[in-house]
Amino acid sequence: MPLIKGGGKAAKDSPKDAGPAAHLAALKSTDADARWSAARALAGQASAVPALAEALTSETAPRVREAIMTALMRVGDEASVKAMLPCLRADDAGVRGAAIEALQSMPDAVAPFLQFLFGDSDSDVRLLATELARNMPEAEATRLLCALIENESHPNVCAAAIDVLTEVGTRDAIPALEKCAERFATTPFLPFAAKMAIARISGTEA
Amino acid sequence: MRMAPRDGPVSQITPEEVQRFCEFLYRRTGMSFSESKRYFIDRRLDERMAATGSPSFQSYFSLLRADAEHEIEHLINSFTVNETYFYREDAQLRCMTEDMLAGIVSRKPEGASIRIWSVPCSTGEEPYSIALWLMENWPQVDAYNIEIVGSDIDTRALKAAAEGIYGDRALMRLSPDIIGRYFTKLDEGSYQIDEGLRGSIEFSRINLIDSADMAQQRDFDLIFCRNVLIYFDDASRRVAAENLYDCLTPGGYICLGHSESMSRISPLFNVARFPDAIVYQKPEAKNG
Amino acid sequence: MAEAVAARTSEMKRILVVDDSSLVRLYYRAALEKSGFTVEQAINGLEAMEKVLSEAFDLVIVDVNMPRMDGLAFIAALRSEADAHIAATPALMISTESERQDMLAATSAGANFYLVKPVSEADLVKHAAVLTGASP
Repeated sequence: MPLIKGGGKAAKDSPKDAGPAAHLAALKSTDADARWSAARALAGQASAVPALAEALTSETAPRVREAIMTALMRVGDEASVKAMLPCLRADDAGVRGAAIEALQSMPDAVAPFLQFLFGDSDSDVRLLATELARNMPEAEATRLLCALIENESHPNVCAAAIDVLTEVGTRDAIPALEKCAERFATTPFLPFAAKMAIARISGTEA
Repeated sequence: MRMAPRDGPVSQITPEEVQRFCEFLYRRTGMSFSESKRYFIDRRLDERMAATGSPSFQSYFSLLRADAEHEIEHLINSFTVNETYFYREDAQLRCMTEDMLAGIVSRKPEGASIRIWSVPCSTGEEPYSIALWLMENWPQVDAYNIEIVGSDIDTRALKAAAEGIYGDRALMRLSPDIIGRYFTKLDEGSYQIDEGLRGSIEFSRINLIDSADMAQQRDFDLIFCRNVLIYFDDASRRVAAENLYDCLTPGGYICLGHSESMSRISPLFNVARFPDAIVYQKPEAKNG
Repeated sequence: MAEAVAARTSEMKRILVVDDSSLVRLYYRAALEKSGFTVEQAINGLEAMEKVLSEAFDLVIVDVNMPRMDGLAFIAALRSEADAHIAATPALMISTESERQDMLAATSAGANFYLVKPVSEADLVKHAAVLTGASP
């Protein structure tokens, strides 16, 4: 019989075996596998946030970076948000994208930072931050995104905000969308985007 | 069930609302429907709005976005065929014997163990299908020790899997010859799978997003993880992907359901293209 | 007029639009379909990679800034694909202005052309026609 009953096969370095101190030390290992395992073992532990935050600033392996962000995401507190915010300014698009995805999954913790991010002097940061409103309660997301597009001068930031509003916006967003379309009447795409957003939100033909 | 003429006005939902819904569904699950499926979408939406007591599309959409009462799960169920039967999605089984196993055994000495995991395995059709398919279609089957594990979060399903009793519908894709050789007829329309097969597959309870649970399952060469990640939210998917990564040997493969894409979930795996299926591979290189 | 010309020659040309914004995909898709192209979509570079591996496209239009494999990484992966036919798929890159440096990197990585957001329908259709060979 070629089929044999194998059953489970436990990890040799089961997370229960090593204490938190060993994992914290392993975060600084030169071996990426060791750092990966450490980040995975520390996931969700609030006391490990400072160490995870520090490890994130120097991590170069994309896989380990993902695991560190997942670990912070599972804590989901203010300190873990703060640890990931600098990644929104990273030169590497992969870092920015990974941070956005992790932050998007912790909308309650991110909410207090959103207004601040929308006021950032870097239009790339404002643009990325619009995605963070996507998983927030619709009334609050609508309020924040509308406040952004009221004064935003960069068409691509407005376009990104409108994209999120198309999914999460309430009818309260319609006046701001109309104004934005007027303001950028001669810019390609924006009037189209605003028109589509209004149609989807109101449920009526564009 | 409400009967409505196919070409009449069947729904109060406007085209714009359907579009909004479809974009959300696509972003959230990866499922996408063309315009020609409008009737199908309307019917499902009407059903779910009625079931949740939503007076308008807007109120239903709010409830859906907030995933109140696990509405995303109910919605996905209404859009998918939740039937499980032997040799379902057999392109991946063919890909296993035509291509993936060749890559797996190239890294192993003859006589070594090959570990295959069916998770979630539900009532056992998938792990038994893997076993049957291997015995019927892989010439090298006797040269290796093949360990098949089936896991699920539902202990009742696992009990049924271990019993291995199935009705006609579950067996519809199997030839009479295979049924004759591997099943015992118990009753009219009731068959039990061969005792040897039942005894050779280990069934265990697992929660894909529980890292401690998942640490009990290591060194798999091939994982079938079909039609479950689609139900998870982004955060749970991310955790499940990291857990699955640790359960695979370097170079090992993972197969998802046909409407699922690991690329929507995690960059941990490489895409591997074979003639029969697109699957995902854990990189062989240790770092990075 | 330009649309009518493109429509005569763009039949059966298949374009993959890759952008994480649903509105952008819709905008490009509407413009391209109006000119007779067949359009498929992907939400990020990894999903786009899966699509180009499973079916042939005459052009990929890809945004620079996306989560889960950005446009630059996608072009690099596309050009290094073992199947020579897939590796040679023309690619039109779209970026925001502040990513102009990326555009230099993109062209050296193998993008055939790039446009800066926001992109007009006319520009999009014109370059799609040229890059797919639907117009001279």
